[in-house]
Amino acid sequence: MAKSIYTVKQVNAYIKNMFTQDYMLNRIYVKGEVSNLKYHTSGHIYFSLKDESGTIACVMFAGQRGGLSFRLSDGQQVVVLGGVNVYERSGSYQLYAREIRQDGDGALYERFQMLKKELEEMGMFAPEYKKPIPAYARRIGVVTAPNGAAVRDIMNIAARRNPYVQLILYPAQVQGEGAKESIVRGIRMLEAAQVDVMIVGRGGGSIEDLWAFNEEEVARAIFDCQIPIISAVGHETDTTIADYAADLRAPTPSAAAELAVYDYRQTQMRMQEYGLSLNRLLSQKVAMNRLRLRDCQTRLKYLHPRYKLQVHRQRLDDLEDRLRKQMERRLTDSRHRLALCMRAMKGLSPIEKLNQGYSYVEGEKHKVIKRVGQVKTGDDLSVYVTDGVIHVNVKDSLGYSKGELAQLHILTE
Amino acid sequence: MPKKAEKQEGASLEELFVQLEEVIRKMEGEDVSLEDSFQLYHRGMDALKQCSERIDEVEKKMLILDEEGGTHEF
Repeated sequence: MAKSIYTVKQVNAYIKNMFTQDYMLNRIYVKGEVSNLKYHTSGHIYFSLKDESGTIACVMFAGQRGGLSFRLSDGQQVVVLGGVNVYERSGSYQLYAREIRQDGDGALYERFQMLKKELEEMGMFAPEYKKPIPAYARRIGVVTAPNGAAVRDIMNIAARRNPYVQLILYPAQVQGEGAKESIVRGIRMLEAAQVDVMIVGRGGGSIEDLWAFNEEEVARAIFDCQIPIISAVGHETDTTIADYAADLRAPTPSAAAELAVYDYRQTQMRMQEYGLSLNRLLSQKVAMNRLRLRDCQTRLKYLHPRYKLQVHRQRLDDLEDRLRKQMERRLTDSRHRLALCMRAMKGLSPIEKLNQGYSYVEGEKHKVIKRVGQVKTGDDLSVYVTDGVIHVNVKDSLGYSKGELAQLHILTE
Repeated sequence: MPKKAEKQEGASLEELFVQLEEVIRKMEGEDVSLEDSFQLYHRGMDALKQCSERIDEVEKKMLILDEEGGTHEF
């Protein structure tokens, strides 16, 4: 009998620990055929992987289901990534799957990753090499299968958006033997045909179907092409090397057509808007300048010499009027004064006095005789009356008394 | 003028649109003289006309490029 005796639990735990500590067994790719497949209601998947030599039990827990993108079925060839560990309850080991891929994908996937890394390091995906897609391409090259859905989609979108752009199809073989050569040739021929932009792609398919777009030759042809290339391979989720190398990646061929073909109606509308803007702006300018002109005209009219002349003439008329008025007033005044003087003169006229019986008496040498004392008896005097002169001789003279004189003065005053 | 027209011959729709925008922007400026406005307007209208010519309005069938580089209808 052996010296040491262990419990089942101890042995199983010991073995489990050995598995857990093994670096390789914790992360291992195992390939084989699926058998005894069971999708459990809990979401876990139980199956065995087998090959001609034997089998290994596998489980994929519900929490790992993200690592499985297709429906497993018995007989499938798959590659399982997972860790091998012990299931202590039955004392058996099994593969705990984290990721399951269909076999074939595995090798392709590795190639894809390697090529992607290589080309990326060479700078073939660098943004500085990306050419801008022309906004208004007139000739659009298409490299795709002539009988696929992709070419139909592109034609439909182009016809809807702008039936006036020219599409040129290079009917390429997009899958199978010779596909990459055909695609490369299409790119070169359309480049020689001097199209404005190119769409290179195909509709959806399995990773094998899309594989030509993961070939280095295709990526290089896209990179070397002087004409901007829009890639459109498969569906939104499929990204190929060609997509990385292209100047723009479209998720689908339809989307590529949307990007390459400018919308005719929108462009027409834009042109109309610009036309209207131009007309409106010019009429505005003309109207503004017309206004300015009218303003200048008005101002100039006021500055015309004729207008100044009129002003002066009017002033002259004014002055003339005032002058005339003043003159007339002066004349009237003078006439009045003259009338007054004449009346005064009339009162003073000696003829008038003579008419009333008074006489004018002159002595010798035409001296006026006003006082008694101026004459003596025997003097010759001339007495003037209204119609002639009487020569008289003084006989006698007699002066008035003072009292009589005073009486006379009172009478005259 | 003919020299200018020649230069425009090579302009793409995109460049023509850029020109149009530039012309309109200038015309919107207050300090543009009427003569300049007319010139700008003519340039703008020219560009528009060329835009129309660029949009060659003939409905196009897809062409197939054959191995010899010749094309025929799809």
